Amino acid sequence: MIKVRDLEKSFDNRPVVKELSFQATDGAITGLLGSNGAGKTTTLRMICGVLKPDSGSIAVDDVAGDPQAQQRRMGALLDHIGIYSRLTARENLVYFGRLRGMAPAPLKERVREVLSALKLESVADRQTSGFSQGERMKTALGRAILHSPQNLLLDEPTNGLDIPTVRSLRDLLKRLRDAGTCIVFSSHVLDEVRALCDQVVVISNGSFIAQGSPAELCSQTDTPSLEEAFLKLTCSPEVPQC
Amino acid sequence: MLSQSLVVAHKEIVESFRDNRSVFSLLMYSLMGPLAVGLVSLSPAIRGAAQSPLAGLMSVFTLVSAFTSGMNVAMDTIAGERERRSLLPLLLNPVHRRNIIIGKWLTVSLFSILGLAVTLLGFSVVFVISGMHLQVPWPRFLLAIALGMFPLPILAASIQLLLSTGCRSLKEAQTHLSMVVFLPMGVGMFLVFFPAARRAWLNFLPLVGQQLHLQSLADGRAVPLVQSFVLGCLTLTLATLVMLVSSIRLHRDEIIYGN
Repeated sequence: MIKVRDLEKSFDNRPVVKELSFQATDGAITGLLGSNGAGKTTTLRMICGVLKPDSGSIAVDDVAGDPQAQQRRMGALLDHIGIYSRLTARENLVYFGRLRGMAPAPLKERVREVLSALKLESVADRQTSGFSQGERMKTALGRAILHSPQNLLLDEPTNGLDIPTVRSLRDLLKRLRDAGTCIVFSSHVLDEVRALCDQVVVISNGSFIAQGSPAELCSQTDTPSLEEAFLKLTCSPEVPQC
Repeated sequence: MLSQSLVVAHKEIVESFRDNRSVFSLLMYSLMGPLAVGLVSLSPAIRGAAQSPLAGLMSVFTLVSAFTSGMNVAMDTIAGERERRSLLPLLLNPVHRRNIIIGKWLTVSLFSILGLAVTLLGFSVVFVISGMHLQVPWPRFLLAIALGMFPLPILAASIQLLLSTGCRSLKEAQTHLSMVVFLPMGVGMFLVFFPAARRAWLNFLPLVGQQLHLQSLADGRAVPLVQSFVLGCLTLTLATLVMLVSSIRLHRDEIIYGN
């Protein structure tokens, strides 16, 4: 479970996230929905412990104030997938498993399981420099779920993927959700949010706007679709693109 | 935890040895000095002359080798990671950033020390081929080198990592790190051609001390081992401090959103 309270972050005196609060529960996929530049990536980076918030608090499974303890409870696939091109897919996974302190024998078995779950066995011992975008994304996803985290954060994970890969990724996320994992998923693709998310947190200009299931958001805004609900919630006369 | 640093170092070493550029640059930079000095030593004009200019040249090339052998790895290991967007995924792990830097520092130091060792080995061959004689006994010479000289590539690794943490791309790192090579070159050449500038305390100043050290040894003047030891300790202390500054820089927000 992830609880975010009054989170704030500025870069060069420019506020990017403003008093943001929301909660993502176990066994559910929570989507962070917002336009480009709404603050989704910065929020995820703060939750992951790579950026320090200016103020506010983040609790992961009720652990707060200790970024490393929080990182032990989560896996993440953010916008930089950056796998090591001179290592094989298996070596990439083993490296991150060893960094997380996994013992050699269980790690070897777990890497085999993850490669199998992601259908990467046939390329597991090839250096990743020649991998397709889908294979690279799957390797990076494998890295995020290797240690069976209770919390999983994904930042627009389907960008650049073909349809079969997107479908297998969605199936994997649903299986993890059904197993009780708390998944936070950022996207600006409404179809994806509707297909995957149990809860949606709408963010605009770094601020919390609304939270609910896609149906609840439609009902709250009295609109027939999530797209209309999103536009009604985030658009104001001051926002030119609306 | 040192074990995490060793995991990082192991991965960096495997990756660096799979990258032909790192191995080639190590060999080229470390053999450059012995080849150049070897050619000069075979010249008839030099053969009849005193050995002092050769000793000076050797010491300059040795210092340069300590700074150039690990340069490619230093660029790749931080600036290269940022460029390839693999630094952020690394920082998502519950590993203290100091341990990450220590792992990378160990790798760059290893390459720099290997380069220095190849250079010194090359100069030993030059000594034999050119008929030059080492007037200091070999065991003493080797001990003085081990104590005084080998901390220098470790300092070089620290400086290069520090600069690399401030760079967003390999190209940017290449520009900055290439300039650092002028440091040993400038210090070396200055002391070779302006020996009057030497002062006793300079023997303990990292980089300058190593240059004076090498020149004394090559000229056949024994260096007190305690002097080599103190110089080595001071150099290692400075190297550790610079490395710690790099780990602090790795905490800045710019390391993430700057690229």
